Amino acid sequence: MPSGHRQDGRDRLDRVRGAFAGLAAGDAAGWPAARHRSALLAGWARRLHRELDAFAEERQVTTLPVPFALNQPVAPLAVGPSDDAEWLAWTALTIRENRAEAFGRLAGRDDFRARISVWAALDNLAAGKLPPASGHDNPHHFDDAAAVRAVAFGAAGLDPLEDACVTNAEDGVLGAVATARAVAALTDGAPMADAVEAALGALPPDTAIGHAAREALAAARAAGSPFAAVPALDAAVLDHVYSYGVAAAQTVPIALALADAAVTSARRTPGVERVAVERPGVEEFGAERPGVERVGVERPGVERVGVERPGVERVGAEAFGAGVSAAACLAPVADSAPALTGALLGCAAGYDALPAAWRERVRTLAGCCLPELAGADLLDIAGRLA
Amino acid sequence: MISVRDRARGCLLGLAAGDALGAPAENLAPEEIAARWGVLTEIERGGTDDTEYTIFAATVLLRHGHALTSEDVARAWREEIVARLDGPMRGAGFSELGTVEALRRGLEPPLTGRWHAHGWSDGLAMRAAPYGIFAAGDPDEAARLVEADGRVSHTGEGILGGRAVAAAVAVAMTGAPPGEVAGAALRAVPEDSWTARNLRAALDVVARTSRPLRGRALPDSSGRGLHDSLGRALHGSGCGLHDSFGRALHDSFGRALHDTVVVRHYPWTDLAPEAVALAFAAYTAGDGEVEASVVIAANLGRDADTTAAVAGALAGAGRGEAAVPARWAERIGPVAGRCLPVVAGRDVRDVADEIVKGL
Repeated sequence: MPSGHRQDGRDRLDRVRGAFAGLAAGDAAGWPAARHRSALLAGWARRLHRELDAFAEERQVTTLPVPFALNQPVAPLAVGPSDDAEWLAWTALTIRENRAEAFGRLAGRDDFRARISVWAALDNLAAGKLPPASGHDNPHHFDDAAAVRAVAFGAAGLDPLEDACVTNAEDGVLGAVATARAVAALTDGAPMADAVEAALGALPPDTAIGHAAREALAAARAAGSPFAAVPALDAAVLDHVYSYGVAAAQTVPIALALADAAVTSARRTPGVERVAVERPGVEEFGAERPGVERVGVERPGVERVGVERPGVERVGAEAFGAGVSAAACLAPVADSAPALTGALLGCAAGYDALPAAWRERVRTLAGCCLPELAGADLLDIAGRLA
Repeated sequence: MISVRDRARGCLLGLAAGDALGAPAENLAPEEIAARWGVLTEIERGGTDDTEYTIFAATVLLRHGHALTSEDVARAWREEIVARLDGPMRGAGFSELGTVEALRRGLEPPLTGRWHAHGWSDGLAMRAAPYGIFAAGDPDEAARLVEADGRVSHTGEGILGGRAVAAAVAVAMTGAPPGEVAGAALRAVPEDSWTARNLRAALDVVARTSRPLRGRALPDSSGRGLHDSLGRALHGSGCGLHDSFGRALHDSFGRALHDTVVVRHYPWTDLAPEAVALAFAAYTAGDGEVEASVVIAANLGRDADTTAAVAGALAGAGRGEAAVPARWAERIGPVAGRCLPVVAGRDVRDVADEIVKGL
């Protein structure tokens, strides 16, 4: 990397925060976020929602119900982070602990919400079944719960394997390892292409996730931009047979492909996305200046100009938004694919480069899955890892 | 002396009867079954995918014998299942449709069984019996052959479920007692697998709880079976066996089994490690007797058509065609081809005879 050690430390913190805030923004951008956050509303309101859903089906009404507040605070239904951001935060807060013990403390509780793989693992732990059996004897061993948590491990430069094996096996574990490798590479300042290669190295081609990752990358590269890639990714990767869209073999490949496409297409489109070149002495040209489009790295002492310099890759708000938005368009996987895409692009861009409104919106956790995290500051939690 | 042909017919008739008996109880809890039927003992409607996919597997196996490869099976799926689909698949589980989608994408095994997320399903276990008949007395070969089939549609524990059932049927075909048959299933899978752990746990439950049919109503050789006894008990005294059987199923035995092998936070019932464990528990609790094994399995609910089909295949192979209650066998005719048009009109008896003819 071109910058010195002091800059590196600061960059690293920025990128770790970027991974966390990026994941939370993607988490918030997908349609399931409102459903997760509606857990904070009264149970009867959610029951009415289900009844309205049945009503729409019975009466053939295309005006589909959305989560709604009646005689309750409306704040939970505002755009904001939900399950994945909270599980990432929980992981960061417990990352130095023995993983089976950290999960074991959840096993006796019934006041939180989690993926099927996590619940099945907790039931296994409660029955005395330890890792890796807790993750293997698990109907959703293939889901991406561990891949989401692996963002924290990658950001901390730690191996996610022990954590992943508590709740997942096979593709679910491979997805976690790949995600952690990509995030670790990006946190170290590697370009996105290297991060994607690092992830692919963890995904054997004869596995579902390894096959899908290569198909997804090829499809997205051929399409040229993240949004253009949406139909191709739907065709190449999504399994419309099964009832739950959180398989790591779908969401991790989509995240890698869209992050890759977002960076690649931004580089090809001067004026839309620019690559920053560090130019000391122009400190006044900063992020806080009104009317300045937030692209590239934004920190004092750095001017952003549309010049590409070999070896330097700066991902900005435009690329971040393009990748995350496209992931959110893939409705079946919109629960976690945008979150994972956001983690990769957010890590590459750094926190300061993310759109300010999103940065603010995703900082405070709702506690919709882990109630003890209500009001927790995700940025502060991320900072402890860096 | 029960001939190999009798055992083969007993195996597939037991499978078809279990499929048909269990079909209306699929996805129900034991309590719901007890509330609706007391004890479900009578076949209400035809069989489902279990019987039709079993016939299909047997047909492909007979074409290739011991030389069967995954590529042979994939070709058969392409030519005889995928090519004949002109609309939605009917009566298929996740693994079958997932496999069809994988084949449509041009994938080859084993990726066809890995590409979709349903490789854990009991869809291979449900069609594994013909491999056990074909390799009667050779559980290793039965397991090897069913794995060649399974790599097309399954992976991991889904393949292990098929191996357990095929190996067990191969041993049941020798007339071995249930304990030995269940031992063969365990030997066919790695000790450190979900299937093995669930099998051991389910067999433990059978060993330590009172079995619902112990000492009661075992059928005699004239074909008067559990049903007659149940009918007498129910209609004669107005209480008794029917009620107590139902209670036993959903009290100690059934509840303990569910607590042991059913995943609480998962809504689907077709996990191979669960279904195979329930099937072997029913077969063992029924002492390998056809009617008891099938009735116990069907009344345990969950993927009841598949668990009862597997229990019926094991018991039928052990006891032969004559041990399948006549009132059930009468209901088993040529299959409709509702799930697999390519097997329409085939009768499991003919399929059994064809497998035996090649031995």
